[in-house]
Amino acid sequence: MAAPLIDKLVAEGVDRRLLWRGRELHSPGGDVVPSGWPVLDDCLGGGWPRGALGELLSRRGLGLSLALPLLARESGAGRWIGWVAPPQSPFVPALVQGGVDPARLLLVGERDAAEGLWAAEQMLRSGECGVVLIWPGHLTSAQIRRLQLAAGAGNAIGLLFRSLRDAAQPSPAALRLRLLPAPLGVEVEVLKRRGGWGGRRCLVPLRQR
Amino acid sequence: MLWLGLYFPELPLEVFLRGTTDRSPAAVHAVRDGRETVLRCNAAARAAGVHPGLPVPAALALLPRLRLWPRDAEREQRAMEALALWAWQYSSRLYREPALLLLEIGASLRLFGGMEALLGRIEAELPALGHAARLAVAHTATAAALLARERPGARVASREALLPWLEDIPMARLSADPRVRQLVRDIGLHGIGDVLRLPRPELARRVGPGLPALLDRLLGDAPDPRLPWQPPPHFLEWLELPAELDDREALRFPARRLLLTLCGWLRGQGAATQHLRWHLRHPDDQPETVFAQTLLRPERDAEYLLARFGERLQRLELPAPVRALGLEVRDCLAFSERTAALLDAPAGGEAAGEWLERLHSRLGPRLTGLCPVADHRPERAQRCCAPGEAGARSSWRGELPLWLLPQPRPLRVRAGRPWHRGALELLGPPRRIETGWWDGDDVARDYYLACNPANERFWIYRDRRGGGWFLHGLFD
Repeated sequence: MAAPLIDKLVAEGVDRRLLWRGRELHSPGGDVVPSGWPVLDDCLGGGWPRGALGELLSRRGLGLSLALPLLARESGAGRWIGWVAPPQSPFVPALVQGGVDPARLLLVGERDAAEGLWAAEQMLRSGECGVVLIWPGHLTSAQIRRLQLAAGAGNAIGLLFRSLRDAAQPSPAALRLRLLPAPLGVEVEVLKRRGGWGGRRCLVPLRQR
Repeated sequence: MLWLGLYFPELPLEVFLRGTTDRSPAAVHAVRDGRETVLRCNAAARAAGVHPGLPVPAALALLPRLRLWPRDAEREQRAMEALALWAWQYSSRLYREPALLLLEIGASLRLFGGMEALLGRIEAELPALGHAARLAVAHTATAAALLARERPGARVASREALLPWLEDIPMARLSADPRVRQLVRDIGLHGIGDVLRLPRPELARRVGPGLPALLDRLLGDAPDPRLPWQPPPHFLEWLELPAELDDREALRFPARRLLLTLCGWLRGQGAATQHLRWHLRHPDDQPETVFAQTLLRPERDAEYLLARFGERLQRLELPAPVRALGLEVRDCLAFSERTAALLDAPAGGEAAGEWLERLHSRLGPRLTGLCPVADHRPERAQRCCAPGEAGARSSWRGELPLWLLPQPRPLRVRAGRPWHRGALELLGPPRRIETGWWDGDDVARDYYLACNPANERFWIYRDRRGGGWFLHGLFD
């Protein structure tokens, strides 16, 4: 009885950033993929964590433009880009202009949240999706952990687009970013990252790349 | 040549029980000597004392809840046809007899890794189809048929090896000719061995030339011309269910049996299929439910197809209980083993793309790709397409929004400026889009990049005809 309780407390402690697992500190960053934005890479410890989940928290679903170079890189390598329940349709000419191969786009229109999560998990786990972009409804910690495990199993990058309110909820995601619109781009605050402390901020200059 | 005989002694009962996992007492009855008697019964019925030959009233006295069906010769015919479809993968020369299949396997042995491997595979698949068979192998079709019925397990490859097996088999099992029966009685013959020792001219004089010719075919001394079974060009098989099903999950069981049959037929012609149609028959003349199952690539593996069927079931609402399940395939494509091997993942992992097929089966049209279209109107510059089918050409220039609203949204105007969560500042010169007069959906718009006081950026346009402002896209 005792061991599962300790595991649970440790997991919660890690989620709340009260605890760090030793092995995570010794392998700072792990496998990362450059984001295409040098200033952001600097903040993230090298780039987006592969085989893990990242959360982009903002008022109105910001962040796709931050991920655009990543989508171009992954689709260029022949990997699928999954979109689960996007709030509206991505504009394909803009994606093509950003270097994304549209033949690798895989969209799931949502009927209900459970089905969206099922699809997201299948994609993350497949080993053939480079990035899975997910616009979930409310998520429990257990659901996020499950997606995180799936991302690990498929060595994919899962990006959750969530609202600012969700920042208060502890999360097992490897990376959590708070995004705010700024005059020349997006201001990014790192709330949590693998192998490092949160708290760093940067301005990603979306306008003059 | 080498012939495999497959005899199905329990066929009369199997045709009623194939569609179900229900193992409660069941029997098939037929008229014998003017009385309805049990013809075949299952293990549960036997355990209660029911046995073939027992009059039906006696069987019902033992087991009032015995499920009973009159023998259905037509169903047995159809079941034999389905078995031939399945067996087509193992032989391209196949004969059908009542309750018996004959397959020429001499030509297929190498392909399947030898006789033991081939027979092992066939014996393993039969229970999955819902049939029990007795097998025998002989160098003639007539001998294989006889041995499968009378000496299952026999494997003989030559005339010399066959003779000892025939010795004690009663002559009546080979020929139902009354003159032969008469002969057997008259001169006290017993087994086929006794008959073979009689001089052939003497035999022909007594019972006509039919019997010597039959013996020649049995031993391989004369050719055995028969009309080989030919597979139909399309596949349509039904499995009737002994009880109505109202749980869609329970459909997997009969579906597997149909798929095994389908895959045998597909393999037999070196083909695979991408389009399956399932038919559900309901009671009381309610219209059939038909649904199509489309795969992303041609397949012919029964377990794989069953997994896809299971996912497709998730999207299915059963309007009524199901009495029979049908499977129809009209289009097949040549299947290359080499392609399959290249696509397959290493042992243990699932085949490449299987996850995509799983999503496709369960989500149906909600899973799409997006394809750019050469049109200057943003709302027409892309369309949904099958995943992976998009071309990469797009001729758009300038700064574009990453998101497009499904419908342009009218914007309020305050103090002469468009407004969206604050007054919008227009950044840069407009992009003029004026097109579409030829298809009646013409537009004349000036698009601007705009920014509100919260630093949110939008793609808006002014309609040059009506003069109103609209929000059409979002950046970031």
